[in-house]
Amino acid sequence: MTNSISSSSSDNSIQLVHAYMDGELDLTTALSIEEKIAADPKLAAERDRIIALRDAVQQNLPRDPIPPTLQRRIEKTIGLRQENSHPSWRSLAASVALAVLVTGSSTWLFLDSKAPQTMEDAVVAGHIRALMAPQPADVASSERHTVKPWFNGRVVEAPHVADLTNAGFPLIGGRIDIVAGRPVPTLVYGRRKHIISLTAVPNASKATSGPSVSVDNGYNIVHWVTNGISYWAVSDVSDPELDEFAKLFRATQS
Amino acid sequence: MGAEEDQKARFAKLITPYLSHAYRLARSIASSHIDAEDIVQEACLRAFRGINGVADINARAWLLTIVHHTACTWLRKNRPTALISVVDVAAVEAKQAKFSEQDADTPETALIAKTDRARLEAAIGSLSLPYRETFALREVEGLNYREIAEITGVPIGTVMSRLSRARDQLNDMIERNKL
Repeated sequence: MTNSISSSSSDNSIQLVHAYMDGELDLTTALSIEEKIAADPKLAAERDRIIALRDAVQQNLPRDPIPPTLQRRIEKTIGLRQENSHPSWRSLAASVALAVLVTGSSTWLFLDSKAPQTMEDAVVAGHIRALMAPQPADVASSERHTVKPWFNGRVVEAPHVADLTNAGFPLIGGRIDIVAGRPVPTLVYGRRKHIISLTAVPNASKATSGPSVSVDNGYNIVHWVTNGISYWAVSDVSDPELDEFAKLFRATQS
Repeated sequence: MGAEEDQKARFAKLITPYLSHAYRLARSIASSHIDAEDIVQEACLRAFRGINGVADINARAWLLTIVHHTACTWLRKNRPTALISVVDVAAVEAKQAKFSEQDADTPETALIAKTDRARLEAAIGSLSLPYRETFALREVEGLNYREIAEITGVPIGTVMSRLSRARDQLNDMIERNKL
């Protein structure tokens, strides 16, 4: 879709800014539109308008759930909901959901306490796979207003996205990794020609733990837990640099 | 008997989790919530009848496609005028005029970011149907262009142009009361 688009018409460029902000462009096209945005105030203004509108929608337009009366009517019409003699489908669903939640979180407890190695392995494997892929990110963008919403609907919780460009760690994009059978968000940052993968895995416990440093398969790893999220920064940059990256990122979380 | 239980179980597993998505899409297409409720109910019945005929589906996109088609048929039958894009600019502007004083010298983007729910809904409601449906699927439901193209039955390029025009019109409407 994006390859055939010529860059001559500014109308086209404006549409591409929209597609870029929606995370729909491949890496090459995304890079070229980023350059155009930097050079053309008109395109930069368009980007700012898209961000402003998106923020307004996210803050002011609540995602209304289906009215309970309508849901009951539908369930009754279809025959999912019996008259009151049986436990209602909803309470049944609630208990199933609860059971799933309990099993789900105990799996995490298990993983946390007994197999931290497994999680680290999975995170490093994700990083290595990304390095071998044609591009290290599924959504390529240095714009955190594009990267964060891209995760909505793909993972349970969109990760915190920090802008560390000024510190020499430009955002490259984001991707989904699979850790313990679950999709989790990974942010991709750059450091000169190197790639840093920052994977955010939901953690069962809310405890916060300070950064710990390790090496796996030749990659440096910094791991910490904040607000119930387990963060793993993986890269082949030197460990002081990865440390600095982790420190900067953590500073934006407080 | 077993088949019907199976059908119910599939509905509960695949469709029930997305009922709110279906409702919000219907709301973005129909102008009243009563119409939206009728549309969702009819769409759910269609989904229920068809649920055994489909293997491994992307349930959310499948349900939203049914809602889209149901809504179009329903509106054609019951609200034929709704399909002609009714842009009630006067009503929107009247609603927005209330806010214009205090925003007199805010820069454009700050003005957009400050928009409240009533003003946003009024602006979105005044978009033509394809624009507001595409906008809602993207900005509220977070779907990608390919999914939106499948649900609304148009090429991806059309999704792209509808989105950029919908956003332009919304921003224009919100900014217009600045002067």
